[in-house]
Formats: sequence, C-alpha cells, structure tokens
Amino acid sequence: MKKLAIGIFAVVTVALMVWGFYQAIYVAPNDAMQGEIFRIIYYHVPSASVAFLFFAVSLIGSIGFLAYRRSNPLRAQAADAWALAGAEVGVVFCTVVLTTGPIWGRRAWGIWWTWDARLTTTLVLWLIYVSYLLLRRFVAGPQMQTLAAVLGIFGALDVPIVYMSNRWWRTQHPAPVFGGDSSAGMDPSMVGALMWNMLAWFSWGVLILLLRYRVERGHQRIAAQEAQEALNA
Amino acid sequence: MDERAILDHQFMVAAYVVTWAIQLGYLGWLGLKWRAQKREAARNARNPR
Repeated sequence: MKKLAIGIFAVVTVALMVWGFYQAIYVAPNDAMQGEIFRIIYYHVPSASVAFLFFAVSLIGSIGFLAYRRSNPLRAQAADAWALAGAEVGVVFCTVVLTTGPIWGRRAWGIWWTWDARLTTTLVLWLIYVSYLLLRRFVAGPQMQTLAAVLGIFGALDVPIVYMSNRWWRTQHPAPVFGGDSSAGMDPSMVGALMWNMLAWFSWGVLILLLRYRVERGHQRIAAQEAQEALNA
Repeated sequence: MDERAILDHQFMVAAYVVTWAIQLGYLGWLGLKWRAQKREAARNARNPR
C-alpha cells in the first residue's frame, strides 16, 4: 500500500514536472526587457523556495534530535535522519540556485557573479550546509550527531537573512517576486507558470527527501545491528 | 533570430540542462547508495557475525 502511494506520488510528480516545463517554455510570455533569458526564473525561484523549506526541515530535525537524544533515543534517531535528509536535499537545491543565478546574471548583468548581499548570503548558506555534510561524513564518535545538530541550527539562522537580504540592503539582485514592495512582483501572465513550477519542484523535492530519509534510516538500522552484533561477539 | 536572442536561448537551455544534471545526478547517487545498502543488509542477514 505504501509502495503504491509512493508510486502514484512519483507519477504525479513527473506529470507536474512536464506540465511545469510546458508552462515555462511555451505558455509564459517573454519578458519585455530581458527576453527569453527571463525563463530561468521558473527553475531558479522554485529551487530557492524548496531549499529554504528543506533547511527548515533540517532545523526541526536538529532541534528534535537535541530534545530527544536522552529521553527517547529512537525518536532522536528519526529526527536526526530528517535533519540530514533536509540538509542534503537543501544543498542540492541551493546548488541549482547558485548555478542558474550566475547563468542568468551573465546575460542580464554582463557578469557571472557580484558580491552583493543576496548572492553572498546564499553562498554562505550553501557553505554552512556543505560543512554540515562534511562534518557528518568525516567526524567519528558519539558526539558527531550532537555537533551536526548544533551546526544545523546555526546554519538555519542564515535562511531569514538570505530571504530578507534584498529587502534590508540595496542589492544588484532583482527585487523579491513575492512579498516585496509595490514596485516588485511579476506580470500576472507569468504567475501561473511560476506557480506550476513551484508545485512541481516542491513535489520533486519531497519525493527525493523521502527517499533520502529512507536511505538514512536504513543506514541507522544496519549500524545499530552491527553494533549489537559486535557487543554480542 | 538576432544574435542576442540566440545567446539568450543558449543560456536558458544551459540553465535548464544544469538544473536537471544536478537533480538527476543526485538522484542517481542516491539510487546507488540505496542499492549498496540493500546488498549490505542482505549480506549481514546471510552471514551474521
């Protein structure tokens, strides 16, 4: 039953991705100033939104791990798996943001990169979560999960800074698509395509997140089994 | 199409290709990790220490 539900979800996700692509390429109009290069926004903005959301999942998982690590170790392990899955899939989406952004910038601004507040804080966010993953990969011992949880919470503090950066400071990065002032936003004819792609990438992200969580839970079970067998030997 | 439009199109295609390369690359890596884990679990079940 569970496998069937995941299978249906995967099929719906693929259909959404195809529909989102169709909307972005064939339905949404060209931007009057930027032309076709503007269509990068239909992958760039949803990827950023999903990355933020999954870093929030990582934050909740990290807090959950720290809260339950003594009182309920089983629940703490599940929380830790969510924290890792959220961070790793978040890094994947953040990598998409940091590559599609410069490709757009090269055409729109004439430069690949500039050290403005939005770009710099996003890069810092990516670096924090990459260091989180490196910590989990290379640090051994019982304190690794605790250290990772603390770093996961620390890293999530950068998410609201990234979100607010082009509201707080004057940046070269365009004004916010959502939640900006009256001069921000986008033409109503483009909103539909953006929303479909938001939904599609969110769905894709959740699918990958569930898969990553499952792999991590499997890893935890094997590690616990091996530790038990080593104790019994 | 003028040269600007052609370049815009090429950059847009590059952005979409890079996005899918990253996403599918990660999915592939995850699939390999999952398969290796299943094999390890099966091996441990057959040969407990």
